[in-house]
Amino acid sequence: MPVAISVDAPGVSENLRRKRGYTFPFLSDPKADVIRRYELLHPRGSPDGTDISRPAEFLIDRSGTVRWENFTEDIRVRPRADELLAAAHAIQ
Amino acid sequence: MADTTARKRTLAPWMGLLLTVLGALSNGLPFIGFPAAPVPWISLLLSLIGLVVVLLGLWRAFGQSTVYKGKLSGSVVAAFSLLLLAGTIFYFWGARHIPAESAAAPQVGQRVPDFTLPDSTGHSVSLTQLLSGLAGKEPPKALLLIFYRGYW
Repeated sequence: MPVAISVDAPGVSENLRRKRGYTFPFLSDPKADVIRRYELLHPRGSPDGTDISRPAEFLIDRSGTVRWENFTEDIRVRPRADELLAAAHAIQ
Repeated sequence: MADTTARKRTLAPWMGLLLTVLGALSNGLPFIGFPAAPVPWISLLLSLIGLVVVLLGLWRAFGQSTVYKGKLSGSVVAAFSLLLLAGTIFYFWGARHIPAESAAAPQVGQRVPDFTLPDSTGHSVSLTQLLSGLAGKEPPKALLLIFYRGYW
């Protein structure tokens, strides 16, 4: 199950979720506490200069252990679905 | 005898401008399903080739002014394509300027730290809860934590 996390307020995420028809949870980290704890802060990364998360994806198993992860080096380049699916299929 | 009306027009600056415009527009390719990985490089390459073609046009207009006309239009077009190229390079740099300080981020094989955050309806939910299954549902085999830049 995907879980999306950003600094957006719950209302903003709820709009996005409804608009795109997503059914998985969207979590709000407005002060970037969790983003900081995961070492993913992109200081002043948003167009209006506030701190945001860098794009990153972690596939974790039931024990909370990372099985696959992806950090992009270019915000335009996002993870490949086939790599992710291969990693997901490897988890039993 | 230099007859101004007999001088040829050179399309090179316009072709170059077109290439730099295409270079800038190519940043939108991922939105129509094109694989994103080569796009930054395609965009940069198109714009650079565009500038070379524009410069060829300028060289024709100024260096071979008895053969070609278009000093003024060539210069204006060159200025525009230079601006576009600057924008493309700025965006190329900006889009890649992600802090590299994620050395301490969770690595493959490590356990991620637990957390509790409000969901989009304002209800607090923890990672442990998500891993053990929401509202009486089967626990998921895995979770994909997607940290994203936000929606704007």
